[in-house]
This record gives sequence, C-alpha cells and structure tokens, in this order.
Amino acid sequence: MDRLMDVLNLLSILILISAFILVANKRMNSYIKTFRLQSIFLAVIAAIFSLYHIFEEGRLEGVIVIFFLIVSLKVVYIPNKLKTITKKVDYKVEKDFFVNIPISVIICCGLVIMTWYVISRVTDINDAYNSRFLIYSISVILIGLFFMISRKKAIGQIIGFLVIENGMFMAAMLTTSGMPMIVELGIFFDLLTAVLIMGVFVFRINESFESIDINKLRNLKG
Amino acid sequence: MILLLFIIPILTALSIWVTQNRKIINILNITGAFLLLAVSLYLTGEVMKNGVLTTGYLYNIFYFDSFSAVILFVTSVIGFLVALYSTGYINEEFRRNIVNINKTRVYFSLLHAFILTMLLTITTQNMGLMWISIEATTLASAFLVGFYNHKKSIEAAWKYIIICSVGIAFALLGIILLYYSSVQSMGKTVEGINWQFLYENAASLKGSILKISFMFILVGFGTKVGLAPMHTWLPDAHSQAPSPISALLSGVLLNTAMYGIARVMAIVNKSLNSNLFTGRLLLILGIISIGTAAVFILVQHDFKRTLAYSSIEHMGIIALGFGLLTPLSIFGALYHIINHAFTKSMLFIASGNVYLKYETKRINKVHGLIWSMPVTGIVFLMGIFAITGMPPFSVFSSELSIITASFGEGHYVIAALLLLFLVLIFAGFITRLLGMFYGKPQEKEVRQGELNYTGPAVLITLLAIITVTGLYLPVPLRTLLSAAGEIISGGVK
Amino acid sequence: MLNRYLFMILQLTIIILLAPLVNGIIKKIKATAQHRKGAPVLQLYFDIYKLFKKDMVVSGNSSWIFRATPYIYFASIITAALLIPVIPRLSSFSMAGDAILAIYLLALGRFFIVLSGLDTGSTFGGMGSSREMMISTLIEPSIIVAIFTIGLNPSVASTSFKAIYSGSIQLGAGIIHPVYMLLLAAMFIVLIAETSRIPVDDPATHLELTMVHEAMVLEYSGRYLAIILLSSSIKQLLFITMIVNIFLPFGNNFDFGAGFVLSLLFYVLKVVIVTVTVASIELGSVKLRLFSVPNLAALAFILSMLGFMSGFVFGR
Repeated sequence: MDRLMDVLNLLSILILISAFILVANKRMNSYIKTFRLQSIFLAVIAAIFSLYHIFEEGRLEGVIVIFFLIVSLKVVYIPNKLKTITKKVDYKVEKDFFVNIPISVIICCGLVIMTWYVISRVTDINDAYNSRFLIYSISVILIGLFFMISRKKAIGQIIGFLVIENGMFMAAMLTTSGMPMIVELGIFFDLLTAVLIMGVFVFRINESFESIDINKLRNLKG
Repeated sequence: MILLLFIIPILTALSIWVTQNRKIINILNITGAFLLLAVSLYLTGEVMKNGVLTTGYLYNIFYFDSFSAVILFVTSVIGFLVALYSTGYINEEFRRNIVNINKTRVYFSLLHAFILTMLLTITTQNMGLMWISIEATTLASAFLVGFYNHKKSIEAAWKYIIICSVGIAFALLGIILLYYSSVQSMGKTVEGINWQFLYENAASLKGSILKISFMFILVGFGTKVGLAPMHTWLPDAHSQAPSPISALLSGVLLNTAMYGIARVMAIVNKSLNSNLFTGRLLLILGIISIGTAAVFILVQHDFKRTLAYSSIEHMGIIALGFGLLTPLSIFGALYHIINHAFTKSMLFIASGNVYLKYETKRINKVHGLIWSMPVTGIVFLMGIFAITGMPPFSVFSSELSIITASFGEGHYVIAALLLLFLVLIFAGFITRLLGMFYGKPQEKEVRQGELNYTGPAVLITLLAIITVTGLYLPVPLRTLLSAAGEIISGGVK
Repeated sequence: MLNRYLFMILQLTIIILLAPLVNGIIKKIKATAQHRKGAPVLQLYFDIYKLFKKDMVVSGNSSWIFRATPYIYFASIITAALLIPVIPRLSSFSMAGDAILAIYLLALGRFFIVLSGLDTGSTFGGMGSSREMMISTLIEPSIIVAIFTIGLNPSVASTSFKAIYSGSIQLGAGIIHPVYMLLLAAMFIVLIAETSRIPVDDPATHLELTMVHEAMVLEYSGRYLAIILLSSSIKQLLFITMIVNIFLPFGNNFDFGAGFVLSLLFYVLKVVIVTVTVASIELGSVKLRLFSVPNLAALAFILSMLGFMSGFVFGR
C-alpha cells in the first residue's frame, strides 16, 4: 500500500512538472505534445488503480473504463484533432506575450506555494498523502488557468482548458479513488463536446477575423 | 412520470432534426412545448399535494421537492411561451432570407435540447449529474448564441464558451471536494453524492472542507449566474443571441445556476449550523453585482445590452436575498426568481420585435415605437417600469420583501446601498430608453403594424401574469414558496 | 598523515587524467551517430600536448589579467577538485570546505575568464563574456537550492561532500524518490549550462556569433590555450562527479585493497554512463536562441524548487 502511494506521488509530481513544461513552451506543436505526455501520465494513474482493484480485490472496477477513455480520447483523439486545427492556421509560434516566459514560470511556482498555504490551513485533511495530492491537483488546475489567460492565441485557451480538466481528473482519482461511474462518464463526454465546439469556433474565428489572435476580438465593449 | 419530462424534449429535438418542412417543424415545436408544460404543471401539482417525489432509478437519481417545483414551473411556462414566439420570429427571418431551412432546423432542435438540459439540472439530486447538465446547457446554447455568423456573434459565443466552461470547471472541483468530504466521513457509499444523503448527514461532514468546496462552487456556478466579477460574458452573449434565446438565457438559465448554488448552500448551512459564512459571501457578491450593473446601465447605447445588465442586477438581488438568510428574505428571493423570469422574458421578446422591425439594436436609431407597433411598444414601456421595480408589477413586491428583510436584520448599509443602486438603475433606464417610444419613426422604411400574431399574444399574456401576481399571490404558490424556503435555509433560523 | 597526502595526489591524478577522456567520448558518440569516423577518443590529450609545444601570440593591448588568467583558472578548478572526492574514501580535504565553497571556487575561475575575454578589447570577447555572465547568473540559483535541499536531509544535515555522500549511500535504493529525481533533472540542466553543451551553447561551432564560452577564449593560443582546455574539461568532470556520487551511490563504499580499485572502476563506469547521457541529449536537441536560455534556466529553478518543497514543505 505504501509503495502504491509512493508511485502515485511520483506520477502526480510528473504531471505537475509537465504543466510547468507547458508554460515554458511557445510552439503550438509543443503544447500538444506536452498535453499528450500529461494525459499519458494520467492514464498510467488510472491503469494503476484498475490493476490494484483487479489484484487486491479481485473484481473489475469501473476505473478501467476511465483508463480506456483517457487513452482513446485524451491521448489519441483530441491531440490529433488539435493538430488538424493548427494546420489550417498561420501562426505556429507565439511571438508576443503578456508576461514573458521566465516570469510566468515563476508566477506558476508562486501559485503552487499559494495552494500549499491554503490547503495547510484546512485542518480536516488528516492524511499527509491526501493533502499532497490535493496540492498538486489544485496547482495543475491553477497553472492551466494561468496558461489560458497568458496566451494570446485561441489554441492556447483550448489547451489551458484541457489542462484544467486533467487536473480535475487527477483530483477526483487521487483523493476519492474515483467518483461514481455515471459522473465520470458524463464529465468525459461533456469535455469532449466542449473541445469539439471550441474547435468549430476557432475555425469560425479564423475565417471571420483572419487570425486567431484573441486580442482582435474587441468589438463588444462597455 | 418524471421521465416524461426528458423523453418529450428529446423526441421533439430529434424529430425536428430529421424533417425539412417548415410547417411540420412549427407544429412539432409547439406541440412539444405544450406537452412539456402540461407534464410539468402536473408534477408541480403532485409535489404540492404529496411533498417530495423520487423515483428509484439508478440509486435515486431523480428527486423533486418544492424548490425544484418552483424552478420547474418557471422553466416550463417560459419555455412554452418562448417556443411559441420563436415560430413567429423565425418565420419572419426566413421570409427576409436571413436564415435558411437548415438553420431553422438547427435552431429548433437546439432549443429543445437546451430546455432538456435545464430540466435535467432541476430534477436530479446527484450533484455530479447536476454539474454535467449545467455544463451541457453551456454547450447546447453555444451555437444558439453564435447563431448569426457575424463577427460580434462569434466573439460573444467564444467568450461565452470559454468563460462559462472555465467557471464550471471550478464548480466541478468544488463538487469533487464535497464528495471527498462525504467519503472521508462516511466511507465510500453509492449514495454519497446525492443531495438528500448529504443533506441528512450534513452534521457529520467536516466543516473546513465544506467551506472550501462552497467557495469553489460559488465562484463556478456564480459565473453561470452572472454575479460580478464573473459576469463579463453575460452582456455579450445575451445581446448577440436571437431574442427568444436571450429570453430563455436570461429568464431561465440564470435561475438554474442559482438553484445549484442554493442546494449546496443548504448543505453547508446545515453542517456548519450557522449562516454567517455562506451568507456573507453571497451578500458581498450580490452587492457588487448590483453596483456593477448600475454603473454600466448608465452608459449603454444598445437596448439589449441594457436588458442584459439588468439581468445581472436582478441576479445580484436574488443573491442578496439568499445571503441575508431570514425566512422573509429567502421567500422574497424565490418570489423574485419567478417575477424576474417573467418580466425579463417579456422584455426580451418585445425587444425581439423591435429588432425585427427596425433591424438595429442601437437606442438612438429607434424612434416612435408606440406609433409603429402599439402592442409591443406599450408592453415594452410597461416592462421597463416593471423591471425597475414599480408597483403594481410583481418585481416591486419581491424587492420590497428583500429590502424589508435587510432593514429588519439591521444591515442598514447594505439596504442603503441597495436602494441607491436601484435608484441609479431606474434613472439609467428611463433616461436612456424612454426616447425610443414617443414621436414618429425617423427612418423611412418603418411601416405601421405588428409583425405577426404570436408576438403580441405572448407579450400580453406575460404582462397580465406579472400584473396579477404583483397584486395578488395565489395561496398555493405562496405555500410552495414557503416550503422551498425552508429547505434552503437548512433549518437554521 | 601520509594517507591524507596520498589521497590528495591520487584524487588529483585521477581527475586530471580522466578529464580529457570525457570530451573524447562525447565527440566520438556524436561522430558515430552522424555516420562519420570522427577524431580518436584520446584526441584531446594529443591536442593539449601539441599546444604545449607551440608558440604563443599575445595581444599587445592586454594587461596582466590576460597572462595570469589561465593559471588562476587552473588553480581554482584544481582546488575545487580537491573538495569533490571521486569516491567517498578519498574525501580527505573536506575539513577545509564544503559544496558551497566548491561552487564558488568554480565561479571564481569563471570570473577571471570573463575578465580576460574583455581584456583584449576584441568585440567577440566582450560578447562572449556578457553572454556567459547572463547564463551563469540565471543558472546559479538552481544549483544552490539543489545543494541546500540535499543538505537539509536529516541524515545529512550539512553541506560537506563527505556527509552528502554518506547520506546518499545510506539511502541506497531510496534515491529513486521524487525529490531526488527532481534535483537530478535540475542538476542535469545545470551541467549542460555550466559546461557549455547543446542546447545552451554549441562547443563545436566555428561561427563567432553563436559562441558563448569559445568566444571568451578566442584570443588564447599555445600554452595558455592548453591550460584552459584542460581546466574546462576538468570542470566538466567535476560536475559529472557530483551528479554521479550524489545520485548514483552504488558500489561506492568499498574498503582498502582490491575493494578500492573496484570502487574506482565503478566510478569510471558511472562517469561513462552519464557522459553517454549527455551526448544523447546533445544529439537530440538544437542550440537555443540566447534569449530562450532564460526559459530553460527558469525550468531548472522550478525543478529544484519543487524538489525542495515536495520534500520538506508539503505534507508537514
């Protein structure tokens, strides 16, 4: 059991590191590759849970469905779809930033520290491992949010949203070892639909505004 | 019986999707909405007689008590009226070749899908499923908001999707933490995420985790409600969508998100056994929303955007009512949900008629409304007075209850700020919008006469409703509201 | 007493003899991967020997700094080498200083090289110096945080290399812990930055505009150049030794006699493994634009900071 917790600890730190690598990037293909790496780590966590349930408790828990969903959707389908979207768009590298990359990496480190501080004030989380998992998950969510607001291209916003969802799944799986099946399935399909709709809108933005720079969407003010 | 609530919209949406004939689409649309209205009125009646309704499917996934009944009543009535008005609106646009048959199909089937997702939110007690349906409402209405493919609509729809999805994602974190606290205190049960289970065992849930969870859920669902400072998507989305959809968004969708907040608030209040934490947060957000709306209404140039900011204001008032957490103020807030829904839908439908006739949304391009469209003009004028809280309309009664409750509790500063902002909003509406009504139209092509029959019919119905409920609240409705109020306050006085 | 002097001489001999071999291995691996035959593995030895016999050309505009720097560089690096033992048994000099002193001795050498780059007044020298200072300023916090984190471990509780090595040996297989893996990643990035490898700086470039380290030593020739080449390769070997002994503590602690030679052989093997890793990283990346190097430095800082926090702050 302790070895299991160690391995989960390692994997959650790797997911956090991949979130940092995402912030330190500026090419769109790298965004997609890093997201894919992060989803692979998440799938490994799901696989470990399902293997644990198979070997220790001898039954097939619902987590294995989640594992297959993560692998098929987040590792294979969504990155490929994003790649086809970026092919149609001109810009492949982000040139301007609101906040340059080293400072945004340090701001993300500050977010992790802030999360640690808030969680350490919540006095009812007794388990040291659970508090660590919560810190890592909420940090990934906040880093995804920061990535969303600090990039000017629409693809950055979609990837940030996907990273936020990765953080959610991490939180759900690690702290509660899986929410009820219906809920997890529903969340999955919601996210899939959201990303598809966002993809359609990026296409429409590219057509109307001739670029996917979010700063050009300034017509509605006041 | 509850399942019928879902089967009817699904069938309507699917059957609209496969037909190509406009007449059949219109008939299907109206029949579907009418059947839905009938079923929901029947269910509301059942709840008033028997108390709580549950079905045993899937571990008690559906749960229906008086609070749900209130919101369901509002949703189905306005859904029916909007569906009725949509036929006239889309017919007119079709005649002018703004939409073709494919877009009509998309519009109507998405309309029913949208209503379906809102109904799902209200009737489920599985908090995870509630989250899923609220996210589904965003997705279902995204294409409706960006219906006309202009630059402004695309921008509005993009903002809507991104801001609402991110906000909702935070609410999911709150729900995960809620489930975590239930797992921690009571082990992993299959009922662990149901509202009723959490409500009954609220005393054994750990307080600090619930506090964090409530904050995340407030921010998350508050984005969908339109509380400042998470309101930035609302003016764009509600003004760029087609008018019947704006009526649905403003009148119904904001309520369902508020329903989500109130449910969690009930659990947290019962667990912490005090109102202060949740009450204070809601009060602050409410006052900031009303203030923001007041400031922006004073400088508007677009009448639909003004109406959208007024939605923010009224949601702020509802949040304020829930935040004060006295029986009177909760009653006032629930009553206000109903009143605001009817009044705002009426206003948006009237503005839809104005947009069709004058083909512009700017205030300074619209003149002589009462001359060119008498019914719409008079209803719009009455509506402006109604929404800013004039007697004898119903918004006045509910706002009066909330202000009385706030004075009664001793929150003088809050009440004074509320009154100040209400005055500012009244001034803003009157100075900005009154010029639209009198005189003669200055543009040449505006002819006299209403555009269709359904518009005025719906408008007059709504006007009658808000006048009547302003003067006399039927007793069954009153008992329903009181019962709902008891559930929300979690038994804490 | 005699043991201590013997240890010092043994340590220095091993390091000075082994250092050019590391360069040779990296170049040979790169050449093989590019389907070339490449220079022989012992090429740097021959180069240094050849340079010692050649004449020197010294610019007339330079001052005493230019002539003194090679010796100062060599001296500081050799002193640091005495503080970083190749195997824990040889840590005889550790009373005189610890890891912090070693890092700053290396910084002293770098300072003088930077000055000498400016000394001749050539533009490329000044450019190389400013770039080198920028990169090393950004990379320094990472290594300091990493050393402090290792030193904070309760079983180590000091920053002297002797204590650090014994702490690592005690951990044994427990070194595969997220904290240490993060610090390892950070130290790898520091290794690449300090020894001027791709992706920070290309050691084989001949375009002056892309040079960082090479540009500073562009004016040196003959004996001076030989000493600087040798010192740079010793510095590289020192960083590799640090990584090997802190993070790969296997087969380190044998006793005298045959066990001693065995641990030396293990050390050489581990150095070769790390060298091969560095060569693979060089093969797999491209040189970064100069203004993208701060991104890499920020990443290294975050890695070591996260290692520190997840080891000693979270979960408390």
